[in-house]
Formats: sequence, C-alpha cells, structure tokens
Amino acid sequence: MDLTSIHLLSLALLGFFAGGLGALLGIGGGLIIIPVLTLFFGVPIHQAIGTSLCCVIATSSGAAASYVEHHITDVRLGMTLELATTIGAVSGSLVAALISREGLSVLFAVLLTYAGGAMIHKARHPAEHATETAGSYKVRRLPMGLVASGGAGMVSGLLGVGGGPIKVPVMFLLLGIPFKVATATSNFMIGVTAAASAFIYFSRGDIPLLVAAPTAVGVFVGAAAGTHVMRKAPSRWLIVLFSVVMFYFAGMMVWHAYQGVVHH
Amino acid sequence: MKDFVVADENKPIAVPSDVKGEHAISIVLRYGAIISTLIMAAGVALAMFRGSLGMSSAYHPIHPRDLFSHLLRLEPVAIIESGILLLLFTPIARIVVAVIGFALERDLKYVLISLGVLAIVLLSISFAIEA
Repeated sequence: MDLTSIHLLSLALLGFFAGGLGALLGIGGGLIIIPVLTLFFGVPIHQAIGTSLCCVIATSSGAAASYVEHHITDVRLGMTLELATTIGAVSGSLVAALISREGLSVLFAVLLTYAGGAMIHKARHPAEHATETAGSYKVRRLPMGLVASGGAGMVSGLLGVGGGPIKVPVMFLLLGIPFKVATATSNFMIGVTAAASAFIYFSRGDIPLLVAAPTAVGVFVGAAAGTHVMRKAPSRWLIVLFSVVMFYFAGMMVWHAYQGVVHH
Repeated sequence: MKDFVVADENKPIAVPSDVKGEHAISIVLRYGAIISTLIMAAGVALAMFRGSLGMSSAYHPIHPRDLFSHLLRLEPVAIIESGILLLLFTPIARIVVAVIGFALERDLKYVLISLGVLAIVLLSISFAIEA
C-alpha cells in the first residue's frame, strides 16, 4: 500500500476515534482498528494486529497516566489481576493449537452479550454506585476475579482481542468495583498485556511503521480527549455506551467465526 | 491534590500512603507516551517533508543494534522506529517503577506480585525473540 497525506490524516482520525473510545471505556480498541485497517486500508491482518497492539499501548499509557494521577486507577488491584492475566495469556498461546478459534469466538460472543445485559441491569440500581475513587470500596470475590482474569488473558492470547471487554465486566460485576475505577484499572492493565505481544510482532516485522506511527499519534490525542470526557461523564451513560460496544463486539466475533467456518 | 476523599459524608476515607509511588508511575506513563508520540510525529513529518511518503508500507525493521547509526543519518524510518520502541518499552518501565515504589513502601506482597508480572512479560518476550 502506498501512503499519501490523505492516508496519514485518515489513519490519525481512526486513531483519534479508537483512542477516545478506549480511554472512555477501558478497552484497547483492537476490534475497531483491525477491521478498518484490513478492510479500508488493505493492511495484511498480522500488520493490522501489530498496529493495533501499538495503539493499545498508546491508549493505555496516555489514559492511565491521568487516571493514576487522579486516583481513579486501583494500582494494587491492577497489578494483582495483571499477574493472572499474563499467566493466562502465556498459557493461551501454548494451547492455541488445541482449541477451535471459531468455537471460542462464539463462546466469547455469548459471554460479551450476557455481560453487556448484566451491566445495563446493574446500572439501573444506583445504590450500587460508590464514589468513583480507588480504595473507596471493598474488593469482593477476589479468587473468582483472579480465575476470570486468567481466562481473559487466555482469550486475548488466543484471539488477539478481548482484554478490556472482559476485564471491565469482571471488575464491575464480579468484584463490585465502581464502573469508572474498573475502566481506569483495565486501561492501566491492557498496556502490559499488549506490550508482551507487541515485541513478538515487532521482531517479526509485523509493525508497519508508516501505518502504526500516524495511527498511534491520533490515538494519543484521542485518549487525552477521552480521559477528560470520562472524568466528567455520568457513570450510567458510560455503562450504557460500554454495553452497546460489547454487543457490537459480540456481533463481530460471531461474524469472524462464521467467516472462519466458511473458509475452512 | 486532595488529602482524602469522602465516600460517605460521615466517613472520610484516607487515600492510601502510596501516593508517591503512584505519582512516579503516572510520570513514566505520561512522558513515555508524550515523548514517543512526539518522536513518531517528527519522523512522519520528516518523511512527508522529504517526499518519501510514496514508499511502500512494506519494510524490514532496522535491527535495534543498527538503529543508532541510522538515526545519526536522520532517516525518517529510524526515527519512527525509535518512537515505536520507546512506546513498547513504556508499560515495562511502568512495572519496574511499580516494583521500586512498592519496595520503598516495604510492601513485600506487592513487590512479589509486580516482580511476577515483570518476569512473565520478559519471559514471553524472550520466547518470542528466540522463535
């Protein structure tokens, strides 16, 4: 693919949108960046994933810097769950050959749909909202949370997506963490998971510099804007937005699974 | 900076004592992101200025060993690559700073947890580079 200034501008815009949404909701935005790069820019899938991993790191670093500073990120909880997530991601890549990607995609879609519905349901009970500050609550069911985070890491190791969309519901629904703390802590964590894989893509030459750089610059600006909106926006709106994005992701996963079955 | 937050009007909850460690973490993340973004933007701008944007997105990464000599020649691709590498190292630097922060607070449990995360991440990177 040849790059023109129009391409650079569109890539930066794509990054701005993905970075803004990612900072707002605690997700990396791979499921936005990867399809757009492959469908509209003709970037090969491995290079699209490599680019997306760079963007996840840019979103995570840019947004988490602000959220940690303002005590919205629960750093201790983040580090604890990160341990489970990284172990899950490594074991996921070890058993990758044994597992059906299509089956896993459908299972993931079912989980996303369920979690999206459960989150909207929970948002209708305002009693559940504590102050949106790290430490203003008690973490519940941590052992289950660790197992679920390990599962989240495994799924992202296998499918290359899904870190944030699983971590946020695990913290919000299972551990009883306020929504903004859950998204800010997820934002904090996804950069580390992405970095571990990003070096693999880099060493294989699968990070296309002239695609990744303009997109990542857009992501950084978008993430800065997203953090401002997130801190002011009411949690309920963010929860509804998050659920809508989850339903979209679920649809994408089913579509991918269908394509996978058709092509094999 | 607020000294405490009020979760419930009658019960002020103190912010944990790890404010300094958190500050260090946020500084690493912020400057890692800002500096790498500026370097990448400068590389892209230089590539545009030199009119070399017509080049294909297909490329071979410069080996990090040779990066410095390419940087001295102000090659846009070398500049962008160093920005990307700085970006990729930022989350890892953040774990190292967390280990140091928890150690200064003598919080052994979280020193071990952070070291565990660091070990797994470095392990998966070394697997990748060998393979």
